[in-house]
Amino acid sequence: MEPLIKARNLSFSVGSLPLIQGVSLEILPGEVLGVAGQSGAGKSVLAMLLAGMQKPDSGELVFDGRRLEWPFRARDLGIEVIHQQPEMVEGLDITRNVFLGNELGWSPRGRWLRVPDRRRMDIEAARILADLGMPYRSLRERVSNLTGEQRQLIAIARAMTHAARLIIIDDPGLLLSYPYQQKLLSLIQDWRSRGAAVLYGSDNIDHLMAVTDRILVLRHGRCISQRITEETDREQILAATFGSADQQELTPIIWALDSYYRAREQAEKLSSRQKALERDLGAPEVNRQIIDQLADQINVLDRANSALQEAQRRLLSELELERKRLAREIHDQVIQDLLAVGYRLEELESGPAVTPSLEDELQSVRSDVRKLVSDLRHICGELRPPTIDSLGLGPALQSFVHGWSNRTGIVVDLALDPNLGRLPEATELSIFRIVQEGLNNVRKHAGASRVDVRLEHTSPRRLLLSIADDGRGVPADFDLLQLSAEGHYGLSGVSERVALLGGRLKIRNQPESGALLQAEIPHPRVEPIASD
Amino acid sequence: MTDDRTSVTPGPVSTRARRFSLGRLWQGNAGRQIFVAILLFLVVLSFFSLSSNVFLSSQNLANLARSFSWLAMAAIGQGVVIVMGGIDLSVGATMALAGLVAGRCMQLGFSVALAIMLGLLVGVVVGAINGLLVARFHLPAFVVTLGTMGIQRGIAYGLTGGWSVTNMPEAFLGLGQSDVGFGLWTVPAPLLITLAVALLLSLFLRRTVMGGDIYAISSGERALVVSGVNVTRLKVFVYTLCGLLAAAGGLLLAARLGVAAPAAAVGAEVDVVAAAIIGGASLFGGVGGILGVLLGAAITQMLNNGLILLGYPSYWQTAAICTLMLVTFMLDYWRRQRQAAVHGTSD
Repeated sequence: MEPLIKARNLSFSVGSLPLIQGVSLEILPGEVLGVAGQSGAGKSVLAMLLAGMQKPDSGELVFDGRRLEWPFRARDLGIEVIHQQPEMVEGLDITRNVFLGNELGWSPRGRWLRVPDRRRMDIEAARILADLGMPYRSLRERVSNLTGEQRQLIAIARAMTHAARLIIIDDPGLLLSYPYQQKLLSLIQDWRSRGAAVLYGSDNIDHLMAVTDRILVLRHGRCISQRITEETDREQILAATFGSADQQELTPIIWALDSYYRAREQAEKLSSRQKALERDLGAPEVNRQIIDQLADQINVLDRANSALQEAQRRLLSELELERKRLAREIHDQVIQDLLAVGYRLEELESGPAVTPSLEDELQSVRSDVRKLVSDLRHICGELRPPTIDSLGLGPALQSFVHGWSNRTGIVVDLALDPNLGRLPEATELSIFRIVQEGLNNVRKHAGASRVDVRLEHTSPRRLLLSIADDGRGVPADFDLLQLSAEGHYGLSGVSERVALLGGRLKIRNQPESGALLQAEIPHPRVEPIASD
Repeated sequence: MTDDRTSVTPGPVSTRARRFSLGRLWQGNAGRQIFVAILLFLVVLSFFSLSSNVFLSSQNLANLARSFSWLAMAAIGQGVVIVMGGIDLSVGATMALAGLVAGRCMQLGFSVALAIMLGLLVGVVVGAINGLLVARFHLPAFVVTLGTMGIQRGIAYGLTGGWSVTNMPEAFLGLGQSDVGFGLWTVPAPLLITLAVALLLSLFLRRTVMGGDIYAISSGERALVVSGVNVTRLKVFVYTLCGLLAAAGGLLLAARLGVAAPAAAVGAEVDVVAAAIIGGASLFGGVGGILGVLLGAAITQMLNNGLILLGYPSYWQTAAICTLMLVTFMLDYWRRQRQAAVHGTSD
């Protein structure tokens, strides 16, 4: 397939300051290219260049086989841009701003002499804004009275007024609250499935991982790496973004995994402070040294953390392997032997020299053996859910939950996403273990009579697991660190697993009663089964 | 980051809604501006009607209508430029040069139509130069048009050596001097021409996308650029339109007086800008309309005419007009300050 937009060796500088240096990229129709990078890395400038709104100093830009230069051409060609800061005409109302440059109406010739059709534009604008879920008092309201978020939504609505072929999105998330950020991600999915090409620049690596096909990492205006989203993970992208962490050099420092993300946040803060310092002080030699030292420390920390994560991941996968081996051993050896013992007893029972009292005794031994076998089977199941390797996560969860409910007498309502599909082994096992641990906690601590277990996609690359019970709820002074200090590792194990998968864990009380455990877990894209 | 998001909570929005309704009377820009212009028009009209008994005579009204026509013609173009947030100081010189070029051509034996075309072409060329310098090279409109004003005036004197062009054909003079009869009424031809142009431009400004863009430029030029509007072309177009209308005004003036002089319309740019501003066009851009500009031109010419009728020397005219212009501008400025205080934005 021919790329929709092709950039070769783009460079752009302001004065002597290079902002973009020799960046090349291609985007196919129906592809989402993510652009990662710290603020100041050149994401916005790249977006402007690709939108044809800035002329590059050198390099070539080809859109659909034609060279691209002027902004007012770009819109005609079907290129839409959503900027970091929404650009509005302050004096105009919501509808006019939504349809700015793309007015509907009756036209004798060209756009400029078009007579705008307010009614049609109002209806369309209302539909688009309702689709986005944006609240507003009146479409006649002037945009200068609106909040930053509303203005950003109007800017997004502008890109939805006609079928664009290339949508360039320059991190509009800063002005948007969580639900609208999610909405934007699902819009990107829509555009992608409609065959539009999308360039999505963002600071938020989770968002990039969730919707992109490839990710390009910019640092100081240079393209540091381009990776296929399926084949990379957030740590690699982060490392490229911040310029640290050679994966080979493992430093054996023990570092609490939970602190990793806090450390990273610190690193981000430090590097932004570093920039501020450089700016303020004009970088005399002393400060230079301090800054270099700081940068070194950050590098070492970063490397240590990724090494630790790698180790932890290996540990977990070896643990699972070991459990699998153990389960097979018990299943193939011990249980078979016990079954053989059972048959022997049966044979003895029906033998000639059996007195009635001996027969009773034999029967009770035989039932003990049967119970032993079933207990062992149960243990095997716990060690390695038998269905997970063959049938996948869904059936494994169903069978586990069914057995658990029978054993404990607690009603479980299990709701699985119909498009679950097969996930990587590590992800499936982790989710299974989290459910296992979560339900065990419910049995031990909650005093609940009913549990809801729910596993659903929030986006094609993101699963939300929630376990909600109607029991006592978590205590007010609930603290994971405290718990593991006291030797209760169950929930810390869960939080580690979630963190290693690059996800988020939340444990809190529900408004009515009972506790709610929520884990959001990213995973490689699962294309929905073609039923829809 | 989270602090920004709290601004979405309903609290501040509801207070803003209350203030909005309180200030609505003061804020309904276009409506209020027209209201002020109409009020001023009525005040000036009744003042001169009461204080001079010839003011309302049909002879004087016809005079007024003729002098109104050329001023209004130029003021309409100026009004569009001001609505866009620009200004054109070169219109007075354009009027003189256009009149001279047309007059000279007619002296040289060109047909009247061709001479008019060439006169209008002067305005188009000067306007396009103004527009290109302002829009393409981002020079301040004030300096650019001050420059082209001096250049045109210099060329006008240079071409003629300071002499006026007279003896123009009747067909041309008719443009400024003839009347058109409508039953019992006779209406001066230049007034009809100006009103026809005003109607066309009003439709253009209010009813087309391009007209809307002109209103939008001052409060969101970048948004327009981002939305794919060729703002440079739009600006060049508006300055060219202003030059064209100024030239048309100059031709009407020359036709009315029967003389095209290099010193014609000296200081007319002040009257033209004043007419637009008194008529409610805001120097901050985005506000104003053709009807307002017509009212402004009428008020300006009534002051010119009425003060003479009352026996004041003509030196006082400019002072009176500029005072009125400053007062109108200050009202507009204060209103914006108050809006900014209430809404946190200047518009």
